[in-house]
Amino acid sequence: MGSCDILSVLFGLDFCFVTMGYAQLVIGPAGSGKSTYCSSLYEHCETVGRTMNVVNLDPAAEIFNYPVAMDIRELVSLEDVMEELGLGPNGALMYCMEYLEDSLHDWVDEELENYRDDDYLIFDCPGQIELFTHVPVLKNFVAHLQQKNFNVCVVYLLDSQFITDVTKFISGCMSSLSAMIQLELPHINILSKMDLLQDKSNIDNYLDPEPRTLLAELNEKMGPRYAKLNKALIEMVGEYGMVNFIPLDIRKERSIQYVLSQIDVCIQFGEDADVKIKDEDEDFGDDQ
Amino acid sequence: MDPMESSGEENIVEESHKLVDSLDKLRVSAGSSSSNFKKKPVIIIVVGMAGSGKTSFLHRLVCHTFDANKRGYVLNLDPAVMSLPFGANIDIRDTVKYKEVMKQYNLGPNGGIMTSLNLFATKFDEVVSVIEKRADQLDYVLVDTPGQIEIFTWSASGAIITEAFASTFPTVVTYVVDTPRSTSPITFMSNMLYACSILYKTRLPLVLAFNKTDVADHKFALEWMEDFEVFQAAIQSDNSYTSTLANSLSLSLYEFYRNIRSIGVSAITGAGMDDFFKAIEASADEYMQTYKADLDKRKAEKEQLEEERREKEMEKLRKDMESSQGGTVVLNTGLKDRDAAEKMMVEEEDDDDFKIEEDSDDAIDEDEEDEEMNRFYV
Repeated sequence: MGSCDILSVLFGLDFCFVTMGYAQLVIGPAGSGKSTYCSSLYEHCETVGRTMNVVNLDPAAEIFNYPVAMDIRELVSLEDVMEELGLGPNGALMYCMEYLEDSLHDWVDEELENYRDDDYLIFDCPGQIELFTHVPVLKNFVAHLQQKNFNVCVVYLLDSQFITDVTKFISGCMSSLSAMIQLELPHINILSKMDLLQDKSNIDNYLDPEPRTLLAELNEKMGPRYAKLNKALIEMVGEYGMVNFIPLDIRKERSIQYVLSQIDVCIQFGEDADVKIKDEDEDFGDDQ
Repeated sequence: MDPMESSGEENIVEESHKLVDSLDKLRVSAGSSSSNFKKKPVIIIVVGMAGSGKTSFLHRLVCHTFDANKRGYVLNLDPAVMSLPFGANIDIRDTVKYKEVMKQYNLGPNGGIMTSLNLFATKFDEVVSVIEKRADQLDYVLVDTPGQIEIFTWSASGAIITEAFASTFPTVVTYVVDTPRSTSPITFMSNMLYACSILYKTRLPLVLAFNKTDVADHKFALEWMEDFEVFQAAIQSDNSYTSTLANSLSLSLYEFYRNIRSIGVSAITGAGMDDFFKAIEASADEYMQTYKADLDKRKAEKEQLEEERREKEMEKLRKDMESSQGGTVVLNTGLKDRDAAEKMMVEEEDDDDFKIEEDSDDAIDEDEEDEEMNRFYV
């Protein structure tokens, strides 16, 4: 008998624990460090004693530095699809993801059964941005997770080495927004590979944007015809803080911890689970 | 990682120096010729999401230039494409065998494409020289990019190639839009945001080619770009998506639309070709007026990118040699040398084992580096 059942017998009421799951959807351009992030996070959680399960959603992935809890390649493999259907890598990837979408109610649900109470999943996604912008595959996947009571947050990774000046920074923001707008989820943006960054002095301008300075620099880099657009974008990013980047240096535990804390807040992990009673009697309410 | 014996390490460094030097000698001395900026040909770099019809569109461009007696030159940068409907004057597949690269370096398809592009980027000065020599005989250079857009837009090699062009010829980026798929306002906006990201990354004039107009007319797109209230109304009525984010973004995007040219085209029927080339010409003029001033900066940037890439390669080569314990490293010695396998530097990919440096020379000076970063750490 489950704990819910025992309590029900004891108190003659129908207890039902609300099981929350937590999920991170890790996305970003190819080479941004998604898989490395997942393995670092996994190792970190092992160290601090937190359960963390990594799911591979990239049918083209080859090597893993983390133990894989769920793997899309058990469902469908890119190589097989390419061979059997004669598709190129892009077509095959789309096919695999659409196959995943079709399997939401069987394979996915079956696998998810193993992860319920307070379980934390990290989904390592393929790089291709088309998955978010052009086709609703990942969006539907997320909706399904949410139906299963998972709190989902998007973690968008961008290689910090690319952000060499303000135009690249704006470019990175736009690219992040392009994915966010489709996924409609709380999100965290990470500037990865800070450990590989030679000159860190510059990057601070983008972690803590100072609108006026950035705008001046932007106007200098782009022609005068872009003045109004520059202003609109800097406002969005600098003043309204629509896109905020957090740095990640995987060599440092505290950097990983900081990122994790931010994400925890985003998905409300760690807030005590409420015990809700399925009964007409309203007096019981929260049992804290 | 075990510390290497110092003498062994010295030899390795020496070896890699030699290799980088020989790489240098392979490059045609582009220094003198690329300082002559040419007004022609106009380089048209075609990018777009997988499935948007880039290659078909390029095919149409090739046919059109031929029919209209415009002198075109075709460059294919997609290493994984199986067959092209047009003949390419320069094809990355001649220099780099994608499947071999995958096997040689034990990479997945993405890694294979990325590495193939990297390999080609190291030779790119030669490509530019070839085009420069024929500049007087050419009007347009049509460039087809890899199927996955971000392999070109968010990679060092894509940046190197773009800068190599942009610092020598008027260059225009064409972003191909899958019109039928973009009829959903959110997908449309997502697409436009990505196009905006390309505009800022490349800092080149951008032309939007709304492709597949034979399937779906792009009038709705023009309307949405003209009048953001119409667009906002469209968002409201679509899936009850009531986000203020979308509304604020649509205001910014309005400014974006006014800075780019949009043409409806159909690769299948050939519709829109004349308008497209008019837009290209106008963009090339804009380039000459606005961007040419920027030229020195771009050249410097390109050189900087190259330098960084070479340093990375040195490092990777050193590591590779360490792991193979000084085994033979074979280098491709010509643009079309098909026999020699090339052992080259791989861009850091998702699948790579991330090695954490524990050597004393790479010791992190915590205090110095982290002052600014400390507030981000718990």
